Amino acid sequence: MIAIYVCAVIAVYAALRVIAERNTMRKLPFLNVISFAVTAIIALLLPNPITIIAAAAYFVGSTLESNAIASTWAGGIKKP
Amino acid sequence: MNDIVMAASVILILIGMTAAIINRDPFDKLISLSILIAGVFPFIVDRGFLDVAIATALIAPLSTIFTLMVCRRVKE
Amino acid sequence: MLDEPARILIAAVLCWINFVAIDVFFKLPESGGVCGATAIAEEVEKGGGNLHGGFMLGNIVSSPDASAGTLLAACGVYCAGLPGGLFAALLVYIGNRICYDPGYAGTTGAITATFLVYGMTQVGFAASDFIAGMVIAIMTIQGISYVHSSRLIARLWDFRNRLLGGHP
Repeated sequence: MIAIYVCAVIAVYAALRVIAERNTMRKLPFLNVISFAVTAIIALLLPNPITIIAAAAYFVGSTLESNAIASTWAGGIKKP
Repeated sequence: MNDIVMAASVILILIGMTAAIINRDPFDKLISLSILIAGVFPFIVDRGFLDVAIATALIAPLSTIFTLMVCRRVKE
Repeated sequence: MLDEPARILIAAVLCWINFVAIDVFFKLPESGGVCGATAIAEEVEKGGGNLHGGFMLGNIVSSPDASAGTLLAACGVYCAGLPGGLFAALLVYIGNRICYDPGYAGTTGAITATFLVYGMTQVGFAASDFIAGMVIAIMTIQGISYVHSSRLIARLWDFRNRLLGGHP
């Protein structure tokens, strides 16, 4: 039971770090910590075989989102 | 769901909402929105709606990518 | 046997060693896989960190690599035993292909983590310990201080190059 509490506390800590950081690109590693913690919470809440697909879909989707944000930011800076 | 996890999810949603209101930069707004979506997921999974969770996990990044196309056009 | 907090800490150390060793072995700190990873590395270097450590932070952010493989394999073993872990490795490979990555590091990390977690469950650990341990391990790399973690990864990268050869 302690495991899910650890994940919840780490998720809140990383969210506070995201709003404390001013630089846009340096926010993304903390966002990644949030998606790790939420994936762990999803898996720990409901032990069912389909939960693996849900956790993997959430993690890959969140990673793709960070990838798109970082790549668009880099492309937008380089052009002008 | 026990109380601590529920409180953590509510805190994530509130932090994401407040940061999305306060921030000016569009990229910061998108990062805040993804915090908000991360806070919504434990509530969906706790009720057992795994198919809804899978669909939401695939739709949310697509909406972000469509919004990013607008951001890129504004920046040029 | 052991209490749950002690088991979580031991699991965190094992997961840390597993994913950092595989990421450094598959040359993640060498260069950015996509241009977003390179942008993150440049910002980390501007903030006082190391460039090669920043490349690894950016690569972890922008594609599911060995850290994601370890977490999802632990989730798979927790939900469905050994076949669940191997199925999670397949999902990590698909996710890697979605994010423009070759996918060697993620798949290898998932498979080794599956056998690690399954072996430790035979000894007396629970798979949920490894899930929480992996979250603690990723927090020590990405969540505490990017300056110190990037310098630590750069030191490990130098050590790997001295050990296995290859250009520095």
